[in-house]
Amino acid sequence: MTLSRRNFVLGSSGALGAALIGAPRFARAASDSIRIGWLAALTGPSSAPGVGFDRGVNFAIQAINAGGGVNGRQLELITRDTQGDPTKAVNATQEMINSRKVHAIWGPTNSGESLAVTPIMARARVPNIHPCVIDSLIDTKRFPNAFRIAPSSTQWDDAVRGYCLNVMKVKKIAVIGDTTGYGVSAAKSCAENFKRDGAEVVYLGNIDATQPDMSPDMLRMRNAGAEAIVVWSVSTGMESRMLNKRADMQWDVPFVGHPSLASGEIRSLVEKPQNWDKVYAVGYRSCSYGADGKLPPHSQELVDRVKGKVRLDDTLLWWVAAGVDAVELVAKAVRETGSSDAKGIIEHWNTLKAYPGYFGTYTYTPQEHNGYPTQEVVMSAANSARDGTFALAPGYN
Amino acid sequence: MFGSILSSGLAVGAIYALIGITYNTMYSTSRVMSFTAGQLGMLGGVLGSLFILKLGLPIFAGFLLTLAGCALVGFVTELVAVRPVLKSIEQHLYVLSTLALALMIQQVTAIQWGTEPQPFPRLFGIGSGVLDEKFWLPVAACAAVVLGLELLYRRTLVGRAFLAVAEDNFAARALGLPERHLRVFSYVLAGVIGGIAGFAAGELMLAFFANGPLLNFYGFVPVALGGLGNNRGAVLGGLALGVFQQLANFTVGGVFASIAVFVLFIVVLLAVPQGIFGSAAARRV
Repeated sequence: MTLSRRNFVLGSSGALGAALIGAPRFARAASDSIRIGWLAALTGPSSAPGVGFDRGVNFAIQAINAGGGVNGRQLELITRDTQGDPTKAVNATQEMINSRKVHAIWGPTNSGESLAVTPIMARARVPNIHPCVIDSLIDTKRFPNAFRIAPSSTQWDDAVRGYCLNVMKVKKIAVIGDTTGYGVSAAKSCAENFKRDGAEVVYLGNIDATQPDMSPDMLRMRNAGAEAIVVWSVSTGMESRMLNKRADMQWDVPFVGHPSLASGEIRSLVEKPQNWDKVYAVGYRSCSYGADGKLPPHSQELVDRVKGKVRLDDTLLWWVAAGVDAVELVAKAVRETGSSDAKGIIEHWNTLKAYPGYFGTYTYTPQEHNGYPTQEVVMSAANSARDGTFALAPGYN
Repeated sequence: MFGSILSSGLAVGAIYALIGITYNTMYSTSRVMSFTAGQLGMLGGVLGSLFILKLGLPIFAGFLLTLAGCALVGFVTELVAVRPVLKSIEQHLYVLSTLALALMIQQVTAIQWGTEPQPFPRLFGIGSGVLDEKFWLPVAACAAVVLGLELLYRRTLVGRAFLAVAEDNFAARALGLPERHLRVFSYVLAGVIGGIAGFAAGELMLAFFANGPLLNFYGFVPVALGGLGNNRGAVLGGLALGVFQQLANFTVGGVFASIAVFVLFIVVLLAVPQGIFGSAAARRV
C-alpha cells in the first residue's frame, strides 16, 4: 500500500484531532475527584448512629484531603439524608449512581434501608460498604459489590452465646425477644443455637414491647430456673421495665444481649441506678476499655487524632471509627489500584487480609464479605459508658 | 401471682376504661367516634413528663398544664376534624378526619419528643410491690373521673344540658339549648379526661409516643364491650379487659395474650352485638 500525501494529511489530522479531544478527558480523569456517596439517616427517628458515622466520615475526608488526597485526587463526599426511610434511600441511591456517578457508596446504616438499596447497587456494580447486621445483606453471588464493615446478627448471637457459656459458664438460659419480626426471629435462632451448643433453654418468649408489667415473664423465667436472660430487642422501654422488675423480685440474674441494653435511654428509665448492674450488651473490643481504664492503643490513637475536632461525649466511638474506616478503605483501594474503577476497588477489597482499621481488623475474600472478626465482638458492661466507649464485661482479659 | 394479676390488671383496665369514657364523651354530643382519644392519653403522659421532669415545674402545676394542653387538643379536634364533617355524618367521613388528626398528633410528638420512651416522674412515692402507686393511681383516677362526671351530670345545669343533647340533639336544639357550645364543651371535657388517663398511667406506661395507637385500640374495646355511649359499661368493660389481658399474659404470654383478648372481644360482640350494657336502638319510621 502506498501512502499518498492526501492520506497522510488526513490521517495525521485525524490522529491530532483525536488526541486533542481525548487529552483533556484523560487529564480530567487524573485530577477528577473521587466521589463517595454517603447514604446517611441524619434526621428523624434512629438518626443517632447516622450522626455518629457522619462525624467519622467527615473527619476522614478532611484528613485525607488535607494530606494531598489520594494520588493527587481529592475526595468528594456526596451526602444524602435518607431519614431512615427506605424510599428516600432508593431515590438517593439512584441519584448517586445515575447523576453523580459516584465511585463507591458508604451506607445505608440501617438494615431496612439496606434491604431496599442493595440490589440496586448490585445491578450498577457500585462498590458498597455498610454496617447493617441482617445476614442476608451479604451474599457474594447476588451482591458481589457489597461488603460489611460491622458484625452480622449471627456474629452478635455467637458473641452473646460464647459469653454465657464460656465466660459466665451458665447452662440454663432464658431467651426473650420483643414481638417485632426481628425480635421473634432473633430469639428463635438464638434459642436454637444455644441448644445446639448443649445449653438448656429453660424459657423462650416474646413480649409486647408496650406491655406495662413484666411480672408474668419474669416470674416464669425465675420459676424455670434461668441463670441468665438473653434479650433481643431494641425497645429500651421493655428492657428497663424488665430490669426494674428484676430489682423488685430481688433476683440477681444477669441480662445479656442486644446493644440497646447499653443505650443511654435506660439510665433515665431504671428506677435506681443499681437496677442496671449485671447487664452486659454486645460491644466491640476496639471500643472497650479494660480494668485499667485504657482503650487498645490503636483506638486511643484515633481518640487522640479526633480530639478537639469530633465530639465523642454524645455518641458511640464505634460509629465514628467505622465512618473513618469506610472512607479509608475506599481511599486505600484507589491508592493501591491507581484507579477509581469500580471493578478494581471491589477486587482490591476482596484481597484485604487483616487490614487494621480503627473499628475492626477486616478480612475479605471473593467468597466472604463479612469482614469483621467475631473474636472482636465482646460483651460490655452496659452501664459503663464513657465518651462513647464501654468497660469490658467481667471475665475478659 | 394473684396479687400481680389483680393489681396490674386493674391498673391497665382503669386506663382503658378512662380512654373508653373519653370516646363516649366525644361521641355523646356529636355521634362521632374520634380516634384522637388514645392520643389524648398519650399526650397526658408526654406533657406530664415534659412539664414536671424537663421543665421542672411543681407536680400540681404540671398536672394542670397537662390537662390544659389536652383540653386544647380536644377543642382543636372538634374544630378541625369533627365540625366540618358533621353535616354528612352518614358518610362516616369523621373516621378519616379524626384518624388523620390522630396521626398528625402522633407524628409531631415523635418528632418533637422523640421515639424512645421517656421517664415519668414519681408523683407521691406511696406504696411498693403490688400496691405501688403506679398500680393504684390509675384506678383512683378512674374512680375520681366517674364520680366527677356523675356530679356534673346530675347536679349542674351544664351537665343536664349536656345529657339532653346526648339524648336527642334535635330536641335539645328545639328547646333552645346551645348545641354547638355544648359539643365544644364535651370535646374539651374529653381532652381533660384523656389527659387524666395519660397522666395517671405515666408511671406505668412511661411517656412514649407509641402509647397513642395502643390506647386508641384497647380503649375502644371496652366501649364496644360495654355499649357505645355507656360510661358504666366502659368502666366495667375496661377493668374486665385489663384483668383478662393480664391473666392471659401470665398463662399464655407474648403474642398469644393479644390473641386471647381479641378472641374474647369477637365472641362477646357475636353474642351481644350492642355491647353488654348497650340496648338495641329503635329506629323511628
